[in-house]
Amino acid sequence: MLRSYFIACLCFRAVPLQQSVRAYSVVPPPRDAEEKEMLHRILRVDHAGEYGANRIYAGQMAVLGRSRTGPMIQEMWDQEKKHLKKFSEILAENRVRPTALLPLWNVAGFVLGASTALLGKEGAMACTVAVEESIAEHYNSQIRVLMERDPERFTELLLLIKEFRDDEMEHHDTGLEHDAESVPGYWLLKNAIQLGCKAAIYVSQRV
Amino acid sequence: MAAILLRGLRSGKALRRFGSVLSAPAPPSPQCTNLNRGFHRAVLRLQDDSKSEKSSHTSSPRHEHYQASSSQHDTATASQYDSASDPAAEEEEGSARPNTSYQDQSGENEEEYETEEQLQVRILTAALEFVPLHGWSMEAIAAGAESLGLSSASTGMFYNGAGDLVLHFIAHCNSQLTEILSDQHKQVQLGQAEPKETADFLRDAIETRLRMYIPYIETWPQAMSILLLPHNIPDSLKHLSTLVDDIWYYAGDRSTDVSGSYHPRSPSSSAHSFLTPIHHHPDNIRPASSKMNWYTKRAALTGIFNTTELVMLQDSSPDFQDTWNFLDNRIQDIVNMASTAKQVQSTGEAVVQGLMGAAVTLKNLTGLNQRR
Repeated sequence: MLRSYFIACLCFRAVPLQQSVRAYSVVPPPRDAEEKEMLHRILRVDHAGEYGANRIYAGQMAVLGRSRTGPMIQEMWDQEKKHLKKFSEILAENRVRPTALLPLWNVAGFVLGASTALLGKEGAMACTVAVEESIAEHYNSQIRVLMERDPERFTELLLLIKEFRDDEMEHHDTGLEHDAESVPGYWLLKNAIQLGCKAAIYVSQRV
Repeated sequence: MAAILLRGLRSGKALRRFGSVLSAPAPPSPQCTNLNRGFHRAVLRLQDDSKSEKSSHTSSPRHEHYQASSSQHDTATASQYDSASDPAAEEEEGSARPNTSYQDQSGENEEEYETEEQLQVRILTAALEFVPLHGWSMEAIAAGAESLGLSSASTGMFYNGAGDLVLHFIAHCNSQLTEILSDQHKQVQLGQAEPKETADFLRDAIETRLRMYIPYIETWPQAMSILLLPHNIPDSLKHLSTLVDDIWYYAGDRSTDVSGSYHPRSPSSSAHSFLTPIHHHPDNIRPASSKMNWYTKRAALTGIFNTTELVMLQDSSPDFQDTWNFLDNRIQDIVNMASTAKQVQSTGEAVVQGLMGAAVTLKNLTGLNQRR
């Protein structure tokens, strides 16, 4: 019966492949070109952000993997992997073009994670705090945009972004708990990293 | 009240369209455009209100309205004639306003409600028949317009001339291909057909698409040169990229799946593995490759499509057999390159592991590994 429902849907829709096998999609089909562009930008930059965070944790693990903080970083990394997987699925479902700068974020993220980890555990935690704060701020502004637009249509997407933002804030708090602020030059390091994140977000939306 | 205004507007529009087809339209001035736009937006808002009032209208008040509207109608049309014809605003209003609401209400007015865009599409489709005779040019468009019973001066609507015709043809071919591919996909999903190997799928899709050029193959070089004009390049690139994206999408490309978990096309598609070498080990996430795959796949297919098109232009073999052989060879090249890349990568990984092992052995031998 469910199968015939799917078949009926396939026959009626003009773009049948827009529907996933699950018949549940987080992102509603956009109503016009402008909304499509906006949604695609949001998804593209979120995907790039999760990918970058993934690489940062990979870099940190490469240096600190065998130390005492290894398991904690591994746990945070696993959560980021989950986020990335979810966004990758959404991108594929909605035929969103991924950002062309992914190889750049690959290298840059790994280098950032590894170099801050070389400053020790506190350095790695400071990097985590800075990055997670930027990401949480960015998710918040996306939530604002979507709420202004149409909270009801975008409910699932909003819930998803909110869930991920909460995870990132948890990472941020974990970083603070583990002596992030005691790294020398904390203020400088944090602001430099946040500036880099803002630039990365700006560029990933467009390219 | 809203109904009166809207009905007057509608009749005014019909008269205006007549006027524009019979005489070359003057280019609209910006202020009139804005005025028109503002007016149309107000009309749309009123229309939304009137939809709720629609149910309360019965036949007798309608007659009253109609008589009252004839005086309103004159003022409405007068204000319409003040502004020059404006295809863009008309298109915006026409496509935004649904057709059905007023045809229900006014039984006496049965006119076809056609937007400017639809009219252009009709003319261009008719003009395609005259392309073998006149080439891709304004003469073909004029002949097409005449065959529909319109004046050949309606070619003034097409600011881009022959470029419009070529781009329309390409968009038409692309949408035909998308239909064919989605039908095939439905067949596969319903279990009525076997899913194809990726290489075969790509080859069939490109062959189908290029066969659409066969009726126009004599004049196709002229069309290609029109597409290379600077003002046409963005549009032609856009069409090309949507074509390639569609083909890959229906080929089952989901260049994001890590460990092959989400794959609507078919679960056991080993066919697909030739271009996603990385993601068979779930922990070995190198997402860069999967997403760069998105770009490299599309770039490769664009290259294949363009070169095959060029080969087709000078092909004189029966049923273009040389072209399809060329296409086969190119696709085979890509397959080979992908598997070579995979081999190089796994070899590289093995070499690195070997080196690391050698380094550890050396450290052990020289005693550097021991803590003293």
